[in-house]
Amino acid sequence: MEIIKVNKLNKSFGDNHVLNNITFSVNKGDVMAIIGSSGSGKSTLLRCLIDLEKADSGDIFMEGMPLIQGGVYPSNQEIRAIIIKMGMVFQHFNLFPHLTVRQNLELAPKVVKKEELIQMNQRSEAYLNKVGLFDRIDAMPSTLSGGEKQRVAIARALMMNPDILLFDEPTSALDPELTGEVLAVMKDLANERMTMVVVTHEMSFAREVANKVVFMDSGKILEAGPPEKIFINPKEPRTREFLSSILRNESQSEKEKKRYRLKRYE
Amino acid sequence: MSDYLTYLSNITVPMLNGMVITLSIFAVTIVCSIPLGFLFTLMVRSKVKPIKAFANGYIYVLRGTPLLLQLMFVYFGLPLLPFFGQFLIFGRFTAACIAFGLNYSAYFAEIFRGGLLAIDKGQYEAAKVLGLTKFQTMLRVVVPQMIRVCLPAISNETITLVKDTALVTVIGVAEILHYAKTAVNRDGDTFAFLVAALLYLMINFVLTMIFKRLEKKYEF
Repeated sequence: MEIIKVNKLNKSFGDNHVLNNITFSVNKGDVMAIIGSSGSGKSTLLRCLIDLEKADSGDIFMEGMPLIQGGVYPSNQEIRAIIIKMGMVFQHFNLFPHLTVRQNLELAPKVVKKEELIQMNQRSEAYLNKVGLFDRIDAMPSTLSGGEKQRVAIARALMMNPDILLFDEPTSALDPELTGEVLAVMKDLANERMTMVVVTHEMSFAREVANKVVFMDSGKILEAGPPEKIFINPKEPRTREFLSSILRNESQSEKEKKRYRLKRYE
Repeated sequence: MSDYLTYLSNITVPMLNGMVITLSIFAVTIVCSIPLGFLFTLMVRSKVKPIKAFANGYIYVLRGTPLLLQLMFVYFGLPLLPFFGQFLIFGRFTAACIAFGLNYSAYFAEIFRGGLLAIDKGQYEAAKVLGLTKFQTMLRVVVPQMIRVCLPAISNETITLVKDTALVTVIGVAEILHYAKTAVNRDGDTFAFLVAALLYLMINFVLTMIFKRLEKKYEF
């Protein structure tokens, strides 16, 4: 079953054609990784899916309902009804800093869905357990580490029972030591057949967890397919170039990390 | 010694009456100008051009002219306007409250605008993807954070307001300083000014304490 269908989507910022005839679809249970160098349009594409950016032309269907059709958006109410079925996790977490962890999770169910208090409490506790942060339920976000913040943000998105979760570089703002705990939570979700679209620089995650990989370059989808195909046997020279530069960087940063650790214990 | 105490009470009792007026003007101004100021903040951010222009003009005029002049304009000037003047005749106290309420709303509007600028765009985005309406986002996410950012500036403005109330003597409202001046002129003794200073300090001590509490409460 198709959750999201995107057809010939275009968007420009001035002269900059950031999305150029993008077409793809996401089926139920898919984990789709969008990779590409910065400025390739991958974050903009993700943000268009949940109406944080407006596209100029094309279609986006969410479970058959049009978010944009032929370049025309429906009423704000209809848009809200569509995006309420999606969840989003941001690079910079965007937790509400004036609310406790529990209140962060329960705000939207309370004011948007008018959920009953007892049920809502049980669910928020269960989701915090799931991301391993039950003991921080009454903490303020400012006291959490980056990895903890991102796990709370995932739990907060899950509270709305989304049919699909969008991740915009969820580990890019984290210290390397903390990416693992966030990726582990995402892996669990993938194992539970949660439909996910992940914009990421974590090639190992894309390789292991995703069942579809999309490579974007200058606003176009250059290559798409299962990870084995993209990572082991890329057709486009640009894809090969990107992957080899990323792998080089990764091994370099591994070396740097080791050097840093040695320095620390000197 | 007892003469001294008698003199002290003779000058202080009228000043305490003046203090009631000072506090009344203060309270009315705060209650009116904070919501009005927030309304102007929202108008300045409006996408409708005439609303935005009106709010900007309002803030420009009220911040750009002396409060003393505004007091005199409301009390003496408004009744002289053609056609509408006859409906704009106010008592001294009412005129003082109107001038202060309007003037301070312009300052509060700018304070709140600064507070809103400090709120990260990601907060609006997070609220939107969770399905909150614009109003719910304002009420539950934006305003609580804005208040925390603004509190030090609001505290500052509030203390300025207490002292500014001394200006109302110009339209003949009898507040603390009015009675102090009367005593000084009558007795040829500036001691009454010292008492007045202590009364202002007392009010501002209480306010400072209240704002410290509030800042603690809104800390996160």
